[in-house]
Amino acid sequence: MGEKAPVKIEVTDGAAIPEEKDSGLITAWRISFFGSLALIIGLCVFKPDPYLEILEFVPDGIRVTFEVTIISIVLSFFVGLLTGLGRISKNRVINLIASTYVEIIRGIPLLVQLFYIYYAVGSFTRIPPFFAAILAMTICYGAYMGEVFRAGIESIDYGQTEAALSLGFNKRQTMFYVILPQAMRTILPPVGNEFIALLKDTSLVSIIAVADLLRRGREYATSTFHYFETFTMVALIYLLITLVLSKFVSIMEKKMTPYE
Amino acid sequence: MLKKVFLLFMVFCCVASTAMAKKRVIVFAVDATWPPMEFVNAKKQIVGFSIDYMTAAGRLAGFIPVFKNVAWDGIFAGLAGGNYDAICSSVSITEERKKTMDFSIPYYKVRQALVVPVNSKAKTLKDLIGKKVGAQIGTTGYFAIQRVKGVIPKSYDEIGLAMQDLINGNLAGVVCDDPVAANYSRQKKGFKEKLKIASIIETGKAEYYGIAVKKGNKAVLDLINKGIRLVKEKGIDKQLIKKWIK
Repeated sequence: MGEKAPVKIEVTDGAAIPEEKDSGLITAWRISFFGSLALIIGLCVFKPDPYLEILEFVPDGIRVTFEVTIISIVLSFFVGLLTGLGRISKNRVINLIASTYVEIIRGIPLLVQLFYIYYAVGSFTRIPPFFAAILAMTICYGAYMGEVFRAGIESIDYGQTEAALSLGFNKRQTMFYVILPQAMRTILPPVGNEFIALLKDTSLVSIIAVADLLRRGREYATSTFHYFETFTMVALIYLLITLVLSKFVSIMEKKMTPYE
Repeated sequence: MLKKVFLLFMVFCCVASTAMAKKRVIVFAVDATWPPMEFVNAKKQIVGFSIDYMTAAGRLAGFIPVFKNVAWDGIFAGLAGGNYDAICSSVSITEERKKTMDFSIPYYKVRQALVVPVNSKAKTLKDLIGKKVGAQIGTTGYFAIQRVKGVIPKSYDEIGLAMQDLINGNLAGVVCDDPVAANYSRQKKGFKEKLKIASIIETGKAEYYGIAVKKGNKAVLDLINKGIRLVKEKGIDKQLIKKWIK
């Protein structure tokens, strides 16, 4: 009785996860990573004004970007789990709530959601900008994660559920001890992909005056007029961070699918 | 038949070229989110003090002004890139800016004002040390906040967003040009009840608005300067101040 090849869910909004087959010395990932690293170092060494100045101006922005990304991804993981479970629930009310949530959030652009939560809702109750950013990112990405969870759970053969039930597990025990651990193998790679997409989307929070990397870059550019240099540097930094993360996701993917 | 059409076309070209040769079109970039100097009215037209000023200048100096709505954040980059001829957007003349663009003669004297919630006790920026004060990104208001050590500057894409944040309670104050501050704290419904001008920030140096053109663009600059001079001679600028800036 062979193991069925695990279902692979492709989410196409992240950086290119390097494939196993890319085993030559020159790969797209290596060119991008070492190229951008060399470019950043080279620019700072040979033209410290303004490139080194920019690099010294933005570190707190990088920290804020990371903070927003990491907190949002952890929170949206749990929101996604609840949403996914809600969407496959037999309980009509829970199912409707989860499905409506997903429909609405996937129908409104993230930028509009950010504006809405911070400025519109914020006119009734005071919402600090950092909190509003995390709230908006969590709500938005929770909906997408919910779909990933649902697909992962549904991909597990019904035979597993039958076997667990016949062994005496109840529904909740089946889900948490049998189904979810197996579904994780399918779910975690696309979650990694969403992590990378979320990091890039945090550039949108600069609109609600959160001092992230892009905002710091814009503040520097508008007071010194070095537009080209600033945005070159900001783009390279985002690229570097994204490439490092996509490497981690690729390693995790390898560990998750040992049968391929 | 073809000959007649050809002749008619030549006549049209002569007439049209003499008509077109009369007035040069100057395209102005405007960040129309800065009431009452330049903003978009309910009919989606760009209106305001600067718009009327440049229209009058054009009429007197002999150019046709065309106004394009452009976001403030990239407005200087667009000028350097040649997307438009000039910027008419309450741009204060500063030494920094003079390095990358040319300015016309000043057309309005402006000062920075500090706007605070109506029940705030702060009088100057120094009273707000340790608190967050907002301004539009890349404006002299933002630079004024940065000059006072200890105040946390927050930059916004548009001054309206900063004002909204001020009444939402996320900021202790907003610094912007005094006509805009007056507009929000005295005229705008929803804002005027909650805001007041705490003080005018004195920097010792006078600050003026100028029209910015690409470095070296003498032709457009001369036309604009001629227009501004004529408007000042005829006293139209005083009428406009009475009309727009109460």
